[in-house]
Amino acid sequence: MTDQLLSELRKMRSTRTNLGLLGGMVALVVVFLLTIGLTGTSSDLADHDHQHRVFSVATQAALFAALIGVMAITSEFRHGTIRPTFVVTPHRGRVVAAKVISSLLMGLLFGALAVGLAFGIGYAVFAARGAHLVLDRNDVLLLVLGTIAVTALWSALGVGLGAVVKNQVFAVIALLVWTGLVNPILDGALPGVGRYTPIAASASLTADPASYLLSPLGGGLLLIAYAAVFVAAGGMLVARRDVT
Amino acid sequence: MTTTSVAVEESAPRLAGDEPVVVRADRLTKRFGDVLAVDDLSFALERGTVTGFLGPNGAGKTTTLRMLLHLVAPTTGQALVFGGRYQDLERPASRVGAVLEAADFHPGRSGRDHLFALALALAGDREGGGWFLGRERAAAKRVDRVLDLVELTAAAHRRVGGYSLGMRQRLGLAGALLGDPELLILDEPANGLDPEGVRWLRNFMRSFAADGKTVLVSSHVLAEVQQTVDQVVIINKGRLVAFEPLAGLTAHLGGGVRVRAPGAHRLQQELEREGIRATLLDGDELLVEGESSARIGELAFAAGIPLHELVPRASSLEDVFLELTTEEPS
Repeated sequence: MTDQLLSELRKMRSTRTNLGLLGGMVALVVVFLLTIGLTGTSSDLADHDHQHRVFSVATQAALFAALIGVMAITSEFRHGTIRPTFVVTPHRGRVVAAKVISSLLMGLLFGALAVGLAFGIGYAVFAARGAHLVLDRNDVLLLVLGTIAVTALWSALGVGLGAVVKNQVFAVIALLVWTGLVNPILDGALPGVGRYTPIAASASLTADPASYLLSPLGGGLLLIAYAAVFVAAGGMLVARRDVT
Repeated sequence: MTTTSVAVEESAPRLAGDEPVVVRADRLTKRFGDVLAVDDLSFALERGTVTGFLGPNGAGKTTTLRMLLHLVAPTTGQALVFGGRYQDLERPASRVGAVLEAADFHPGRSGRDHLFALALALAGDREGGGWFLGRERAAAKRVDRVLDLVELTAAAHRRVGGYSLGMRQRLGLAGALLGDPELLILDEPANGLDPEGVRWLRNFMRSFAADGKTVLVSSHVLAEVQQTVDQVVIINKGRLVAFEPLAGLTAHLGGGVRVRAPGAHRLQQELEREGIRATLLDGDELLVEGESSARIGELAFAAGIPLHELVPRASSLEDVFLELTTEEPS
């Protein structure tokens, strides 16, 4: 298993895919932070919920982490490297598990970096504009740890999704359509259902103040369940399907 | 250092559990939906043989090879290597190496990194009982060795996207050789290679087999492997057509002798009296089957019939192959 993990980590380091995703993540987080931080009025900036919104920009990293996971498996199908990979390791479950773990590690890294950016830039903006930080310790703790956990879990979910869909383009489209369209519409139109979606569960875990959400623990467990279901389904399908 | 005995062990004679049969297809069948890709196929290949796995495109060669490697699950029957299923082998890649497609690479990854990722996944490498660094070192050694073997060291750090077809083919081989396997499975390795590449490949297979190792190489063109293989498995539409030594295939070559003589009709009678089959092709041309040119010439001389031409018909292995794999009208 260690062998497969080292192999997957080497694959992740040796193309520019993840570097590109990292760049995209950093750019998006920085732009969002500056936009929200600099365009808000002074009274906005002093508001608890607004401050939370600024720091939780870091959760955008979760989308990029999910793409890490999706790419980790679909690029093997796309380029045919899945064949040598499975010839060397015919126990396909081990390969999928190694992809999940390596993606989780990358997700942790992305999450930590995004949190660092959010708090670094966020604090600087608040200080520059003379706003007083009103978030309490619990808020900050959940924002930091919750964001990192959310990001890591989405990367695992991405591996599962990629394994289920197999086709790279379709998997990426499915992810973008869900996170950009379906999930937000569900959230807005049917909060009673929407709070059980992966994105709402992620928001709960970072102590998002929106009233309809689950508790941080509930959201966290639900997100873990989502990731586990996708990984299990993907792992099972990959083990069963012929590699042609 | 006291861990240098490995090489000695490897060169020792093989004993328990090492049956001579390396590859065995046993009533192997694969159905994809309505398509019967492989149909009740059985053959067994012994250690040290080089086998050409032949058949027209779509005959089921690729599916068969993939079943041997646990990439495709048989519908019924068994595909065995070294007496067991591929996935049940311990460290399978150290026993079997395979090149299945000409381009199973990520174009943005360097050749060296491609091999490195595979080498790391080859379980069981421990240098100095090592953790991460030990494993990385062991993998690096394997990678350098195979890069050298396929003469790709100079290009190893370049992205595969910029490789020529021949370089990709060699990179694929390098990947197959990482585990120092005893059996090499190559699926249409000569496809798209230039003559120099084909020659390189042929020499490579010969030297690999010269070490007593086993090769199973598929092709839809007999001529590509004709000079390399000891025996052939020929399939068509998923079914076994022929499984025999190359020499046996050559025996089918009794393609007949074409004779041109002014007294062709008389010669035909003379030959038939001797029990030799002869068909009148044209006014003065005969096709004689199952007899050597020499004997035909002697009989003609004895009968006083002058010959203008006496030509063994240009029948090649390729003709036999085509004959065997062309669908008989039903």
